[in-house]
Amino acid sequence: MSENFSRRDFLKLAGLGAATTAVLTGCGPASRFVRREPYMQMPEYTYNGLSTYYATTCRECAAGCGLVVRTMQGRAIKTEGNTNHPLNLGKTCARGQATLQGLYNPDRVTDPIQKARGTALGRESGNLLDWDAAIQVAADALGKHKPEEIAFLLGLAPDHLDDLVRELAEATGINPPLRFGALSMFEARATLSRAAENLFGKSGIPYFDIGGAQVVFSFGANFLETWLSPVSYTRGFAQMREALSKRRGTFVQFEPRLSSTGAKADEWIPIRPGTEALVALTIGRLAFELIGGALPRAFSDVDPMQAAAKSGVKLETLQRLAALFAGSPHSLAIPGGPALGLKNGLSVAEAVLALNAIPNNFGKPGGVFFSAPAPGQMESSRAASTREMRDFITKLADGDIKVLFIHGVNPVFELPAEMGFKDALQNVEQVISFATFPDETALEADFILPDHHGLESWGYQQVGTGTAQSVLSGAQPVVSPFYNTRATVDVLLAAAKLAGGAFAQALPYVDEVAFVQHRIAPLMRESGGPFSAPEIGAFSAYFQQHGGWWKKGTDLLPPNPADVLNRDLDQTESEFVGEGEFFLVPFVSPTLAEAGANKPWLQELPDPTTTVMWNTWVEMNPATAHDLHIENEDVVVITSEAGEVEAPVYLYPAIRPDTIAIPFGQGHSSYGRYAAGRGANPADLFGLHFNQAGDLAFAGMKVTVRKTDRKQALSRMESLMGVYGEGLGQEK
Amino acid sequence: MFKRLFDWLRQPLGLIAVGIVLLTVFSLAAYGIFLTQQSSAQPIQFPHRTHVGFGIQCLYCHPGAARGPSAGIPSQAKCWGCHQQIAKTQTSALLAPLKQAVESGTPIQWVPVAMVPDFVQFNHRAHVAAGQNCEDCHGDMTLVTIAENPQVFNMGWCLDCHRKAAGEDEAKLLKLADCGTCHY
Repeated sequence: MSENFSRRDFLKLAGLGAATTAVLTGCGPASRFVRREPYMQMPEYTYNGLSTYYATTCRECAAGCGLVVRTMQGRAIKTEGNTNHPLNLGKTCARGQATLQGLYNPDRVTDPIQKARGTALGRESGNLLDWDAAIQVAADALGKHKPEEIAFLLGLAPDHLDDLVRELAEATGINPPLRFGALSMFEARATLSRAAENLFGKSGIPYFDIGGAQVVFSFGANFLETWLSPVSYTRGFAQMREALSKRRGTFVQFEPRLSSTGAKADEWIPIRPGTEALVALTIGRLAFELIGGALPRAFSDVDPMQAAAKSGVKLETLQRLAALFAGSPHSLAIPGGPALGLKNGLSVAEAVLALNAIPNNFGKPGGVFFSAPAPGQMESSRAASTREMRDFITKLADGDIKVLFIHGVNPVFELPAEMGFKDALQNVEQVISFATFPDETALEADFILPDHHGLESWGYQQVGTGTAQSVLSGAQPVVSPFYNTRATVDVLLAAAKLAGGAFAQALPYVDEVAFVQHRIAPLMRESGGPFSAPEIGAFSAYFQQHGGWWKKGTDLLPPNPADVLNRDLDQTESEFVGEGEFFLVPFVSPTLAEAGANKPWLQELPDPTTTVMWNTWVEMNPATAHDLHIENEDVVVITSEAGEVEAPVYLYPAIRPDTIAIPFGQGHSSYGRYAAGRGANPADLFGLHFNQAGDLAFAGMKVTVRKTDRKQALSRMESLMGVYGEGLGQEK
Repeated sequence: MFKRLFDWLRQPLGLIAVGIVLLTVFSLAAYGIFLTQQSSAQPIQFPHRTHVGFGIQCLYCHPGAARGPSAGIPSQAKCWGCHQQIAKTQTSALLAPLKQAVESGTPIQWVPVAMVPDFVQFNHRAHVAAGQNCEDCHGDMTLVTIAENPQVFNMGWCLDCHRKAAGEDEAKLLKLADCGTCHY
């Protein structure tokens, strides 16, 4: 600074400048270059400048969490959990947050369309219909075929559409609807239910009160990711870990590949795939030996020494874990995930469930229950096992089914390619899809009669598991439909009327809302609900306003533990099919799963364990990779007896050297611009082998890995420099 | 080299040059700021005078004033509700933009007249509920075509009215003159 212009002068001048700017701009609007666009048609209940909130149900998976969606001037702008909903108490997972990107997705099916099978959606390949013509198509499909030639394939969620089709089936003799989803396949729901039947004499999905437990042993159950009801189980987990009012709970995860659930565990036991039942029974035996007394029949046959040798877990570790498990009255053992997707999956489920007899936690806080049945839930309306799907596909292939209606599920992508769903459709005269998005299955249909997006629809969903209360979750439109879509229930009601005969008599409802009201009307007479109303109009309004109906207090059913230990449990190791040297653990991507890949937020969300985005990867232990001269991001071909899949390698230290893992969620050939042509689908590798309960043995394969000479960079959050020393001049 | 430049700037001619540059920069900045405070032309020369003359209540077109922060600009469906029954709508040049907007389904882009800066949380509802009439702030609409602000909506003007409304009531004054009442 010169002598004439001091530091003080400079500051004065600068201050003056700032003050002038502030005076000139600060007291008025920053700009008057503003234009305002009023509505052309003002939606009802809209106040300018005020948000309107609607309670509804998340349709991203079948769990049935309650949402409250904030709308501003007729546009949904944010989803949050419904604080009062017993299942999720105000929380959502990433998929729930991203449901908006389904609503605003640029690749939605906008109009009813008739198209050639197997062609992409577009005005050239298809013939846009008006809804009268589209409903006539559905009516002809119903009316001009014998009832036994008509079938419905629905999504996993037990919703009002399922109830409607079930009613239609009972009245007219068409095939009862089949419900399926990839998640039920990966969760092995049928296996859990069958194991409960074998042990407790009653089938049903067990509910595990993780929140009240002190020691949790999970055999493959990925309950913090996608398993059964991840949001509620995550809350339970947080409650178990809470350490202000009690001792912090301990969590041990048994699985060959560290999942993101396993990553939250105190201890990860990388057992040899196939020895889950053996390990569980061994822990049972060792625990009983510690407690003292007669060894029950269930655990008496196992040899701990042999089990340690076979499973690759040291005997001392097994003893320590047995002591841990036996040491608390609130221990809990959970079977799930890939552990049940073995050829002996049912034995695993039984062995692990039997462990709960050690603290005898059945029907007690922190223990095992039967899930509370949702209002109106029927025993018969459970999801189909993968074997039932195979039988159904055989029926399709044999030409027994002439008309197939598909809603809420994408079997061409979700089922193993080996099952031949796509080929079987060739023998179905007419395939009518109600898809919201042009997914792989919709493209194989003759007609797409698009349903509204979940945030545009009425309805309800029975909450099958995940909460102690009996919950019927309500759904209502939070925005008016953007496109020329129509509610599938309304389409079916109209079509049934047109079809005449038994169909016209079967569904005496004016529209979807009338049907929903008809179904919830019996709840008006039930006591213990959150609200009451003398007539259905008001009751239904309360139902939508609260986001559903649930009873106060617990409705969990205690299992009957009398015979659990007094039986022989199978300890034999699982057989693996295929000639390869690696066990394959396919796991569901927590964010993408079966239908998340078309939402960029979810694609962009790093996988919790690997931080990879936008792609499929193969997890391989660095030691194994070193032996095979495979480097990070080398593309490898995985070959199973059923097929081949190509993907780049991710060196993952938290996996057994004899195991590789691959996520399920990518590999779409269509399903919109964000999903199509990205990554690989591990379902192409699955052979048709089932466990004893009819669920697919998706983790019961051995595969070979062949290196190609290509590399493919994986976009990931983690720094390669930090993980692999790349760029540091160190050995890769 | 810099020293030579500074030396030159310090002599009288140099000081004049510095003065000219500063003045230019300041004028440009002032003009730029002035420009941001000018609004563009309205798409339709909306005659408030005529509508109020027909006896239409303010709240008929701006119902948001009674129930929320924003009074709102009426949707063109509301305009059309009356105008489609008025023969002149089909022929008048003044109304051509409305007809065109309704037929093509594009919203009319109005230019707001009464605005407050973003840091002011203004809520119409509280003022209407307190018994203020629209014309108290917005002036007499029977006299104007396009709405005009009879005064600048600045803080002094707001506070003046808030103080008067409180009168001698200390508790009320505390509420009405609190910063957090409008700035939160």
